[in-house]
Amino acid sequence: MILSLVFFTFAFIFYILTTTAYAGYWVFRKKWLGQIATAMACIALGATTMVLISRAGESGHGPFSNLWESMVLFIWATNAGYLLMEYRYKFKAIGAIVMSIVTLAMLSASLLPYRFKDVEPLNPALQSKWKWMTSLLSRWDLQNYAIGWLDFHVVTTFIGYAAFAISFGLAILYLLKNRYESRQQRVKLLEAIPDSKVLDEMSYRAIAWGFPFLAVGIVSGAIWANYAWGGYWSWDPKETWSLITWFIYAAYLHARVTRGWRGKRAAYLSILGFAAVVFLYWGVSFILPGLHAYA
Amino acid sequence: MAENAKQAAEGMDARWYRTLGSGIWAFLNSLKLTIFILIALAATSIFGTAIEQNAPLQKYIAEYGETWGNLIIYTNLDNMYYSWWFRGLILFLAVNIVVCTLERFPPKWKSLLEHKQERFDPKLIEKFAHHETLSIGASPEAVRDRLLQVLRKKRFGTVSSGGGDEFFIYAWKGRIGRLGSDMTHISLLLILLGALVGSVYGYRDSIFMNVGNTVKFSNESFMLRLDKFWIDYYDTGHIRQYNSLLTIIEDGKEVMQKQIWVNEPLDYKGLKFYQANYGLSWNKLEEAQLTFRHKVKEGTEVSFPVKWNTATDVPNSKYSVKVIGYTADFAYDEEDNLVYSKSENPNNPAIKIEVYEGEKLVSSPWLFLNYPGIFPAIPDSDHDFVYTGHKGTWFSGLQYSKDPGTNIVWVGSAVMGIGFIMAFFIYHRRVWIHIKGGGQSTEMKIGGTINKNTFAFERDIREITESVSSN
Repeated sequence: MILSLVFFTFAFIFYILTTTAYAGYWVFRKKWLGQIATAMACIALGATTMVLISRAGESGHGPFSNLWESMVLFIWATNAGYLLMEYRYKFKAIGAIVMSIVTLAMLSASLLPYRFKDVEPLNPALQSKWKWMTSLLSRWDLQNYAIGWLDFHVVTTFIGYAAFAISFGLAILYLLKNRYESRQQRVKLLEAIPDSKVLDEMSYRAIAWGFPFLAVGIVSGAIWANYAWGGYWSWDPKETWSLITWFIYAAYLHARVTRGWRGKRAAYLSILGFAAVVFLYWGVSFILPGLHAYA
Repeated sequence: MAENAKQAAEGMDARWYRTLGSGIWAFLNSLKLTIFILIALAATSIFGTAIEQNAPLQKYIAEYGETWGNLIIYTNLDNMYYSWWFRGLILFLAVNIVVCTLERFPPKWKSLLEHKQERFDPKLIEKFAHHETLSIGASPEAVRDRLLQVLRKKRFGTVSSGGGDEFFIYAWKGRIGRLGSDMTHISLLLILLGALVGSVYGYRDSIFMNVGNTVKFSNESFMLRLDKFWIDYYDTGHIRQYNSLLTIIEDGKEVMQKQIWVNEPLDYKGLKFYQANYGLSWNKLEEAQLTFRHKVKEGTEVSFPVKWNTATDVPNSKYSVKVIGYTADFAYDEEDNLVYSKSENPNNPAIKIEVYEGEKLVSSPWLFLNYPGIFPAIPDSDHDFVYTGHKGTWFSGLQYSKDPGTNIVWVGSAVMGIGFIMAFFIYHRRVWIHIKGGGQSTEMKIGGTINKNTFAFERDIREITESVSSN
C-alpha cells in the first residue's frame, strides 16, 4: 500500500466537503458555515501537504516528477494561495468557485492511469541537484535532501499556475456579478460575492503573482535546459506554450493600463489565459510530443 | 513670388512629412499595438506547435495535400520561429517597446524627481478616489506631529508646511516601483539581443562517438576524445545516469578531462558538450564469438572469443583471426562497391574477419550471424569459421553548442526579476493631508493615490486615520 495514495483519498474527501461548505456559505450566508468551510480547507491543505511529504519519502526525491505528483502540487498551491487571499481580503464566498476548481483537479488526478501515479526513481534528465547545496548539506550528511533545478522549476511554475487558476475563478465571478450589476438587478444569490470592481482588482492581483512566477519558471527552465539539453531555448512545445501563456497574460497586464480594456475584456483575457495554462499543462503533455517527459 | 512659393512648398513638404512621421510615431507608441502584437505572437506560435517543424518538404505535401502543404512551405510555417514574418513580429514588439519607453520614461522620471508638493489646494484632496475627512479632538499641531510620526513609522517620506492652525503634509512611498515596468521592458530587449547574438555567432550540432574515437571540430583548434561510456543503474534496474569520460586535446597535449552526464556538460572555450544519446555501436564491437569447425566431420567445433582488431590464435589449428569490421544492419551498395549499415539496429549483423596462416593473409570474408556458413570463410579448405554472437560496444551521442549570447540572456533575465519585484510588489503611494484647526476640534482631510493594489492603499489610509483618531 502506498501511503501517499491513502492521504490523497483522505484529502479528496475533504476537498468535496470544503467545496460543499463554501457553496453552502454562498447560498445561505451563515457565518458558522463560512467558518466550517475555512477549517475544512485548512484540513484539506494539511492532507495535501502530507501527500507531498509521504510521496517524497517513498520516492526519495522531490515529489515533482510525474503528472500525478505535479497535480497534487498544483492543488496544494491553489488551496494555499486561496487561503492566503481569504485571510487578507476576508471574502469567503469566492472559495466556492476556487475549491470547485481544486476538487475538479483532484478528480482528474485520481482518474489518471496508474503509470502516471507510480513511485519512480528520477531518470537521468531529471537529476539536477544543485552542487553547491549538495556539498553544503553533505557536511551534516544531509546531501540527500538537496534540491535542484527540477524542484525549483516545477514549484515556481506551479505557483504561477495556481495563481492563474484563482484569477480564472475570480474572472468568472466578475462576469457573473457584472452582468447583473450593469442591468441594475439585485440578485440575492450574488450578494455573498463582492462587488465586480473588487473582483476585477482581485483577479488582477492574482495575475500579478502568477505572471512573475511563470516568468521565473520559464527562466529557471531555460537555465536548466542550458545544462541538460544543450541550449536555453529549443522551441519545444512545452516551452512554446509557456511563452504563449506568458504573452496572453502580458497582454492582460497591458490591457489593464489601457482605458476601456479593464473589467470585461480583462476578465475574458484571464479566462483565455487559463485555457492556455490548461493546454500547456495537460494538452501539451498528451497531444504534442516533445522533450518534456512528463507534465 | 518664386521665393514664397518655394517656401510654401517646403512648408507643405515638411508638414506632410511631419504628419506621416507623427502618425507612425503615435501608432508605434500605442498600448493597443502592444496588446495586438502580444496576442498575434501567442496566436501564431500555436501553428509551430501543431505543425511539425523542419521536416523534409515532401512530408508536408504528403501529410496536408498539395494546396495546404505548399501553403505551409510558402509561408515558412515549417520553420516558423525563424521565419521573416515571425522575427518581424518580434522586431515590431521591440520597436514598440523602444518608442513607448522613449515617450513615457522622461516625463515619468521628471515627475518622480519633482514630485514634492509642500503646499496645495485642499480641494485637491476631495478629488481622489480615496479620501476622507475627520474631526479630531486635538490641537492641529498635535495632529500634525502624530501624523508625521505614523507616516515615518510606515516608512513614508514626508514634507510638511504651514503654521498656526493650518498645516499641509505630503507623504510618499515606493517611488522606485514606478521604474519596474521600464526595467522589465529593457530586460526584454536584452534577452532579444542575447538571442540575436546567439543566432548570428552560435551553432549547435551533434556527433556519435565510439569509445576511443577522437574528433576534430572544423571551427575549433582542439580535438575531443571519448575515453569511456557507461550507464549507472538503480537497484531496481532503472537507469540512473549516462556518463561519458571526455578528454580535450590541444596542440597534441591533453589539456582537460571530465566526466559528463545528463545535466553536467563539459565547457571548453565556450563550446559545450552534452550527454544527449547513447546506444550500441553499429560499426564496432568489443568482441565477436567465433566457431571453428570441420565442414563435414561432426564434433570438431571449437568456440572462442575474438577481441576487436586483435589477432587471435585459433585453438588447435594453424590459423589466426582478427575482427576488423562490423555492421549492425548489413547492406551492400553494388554501384560503389560499399558495405554500409541500413540502420543502427542489429537487424542483420555481419562481421569482417581476416584469416592468417602464420604471417600470410589467407582471406578476409564477411560472416553473417543470421546466415551461418553461406559463404566459406577460407577458400579451398575443409575448415570454416562461423560467427555465433558478439559483445557490443557503446557509442555516446554528444550534442555540442556554442552560444555567446547566453550570458546576455541571463543578464536580461536577472534584470527582469528585479523589474518584476519593483513593478508588482512595490507600490507608489502618495498622500496629501490638510489639517485645519477650528475651535474645539481639528478638521483633517486625507486623500491620495496608489499606482496599483488599491486594497493596500485603503488599508494604509485606514491605519493612518485610526492612529490619529484613537489619540
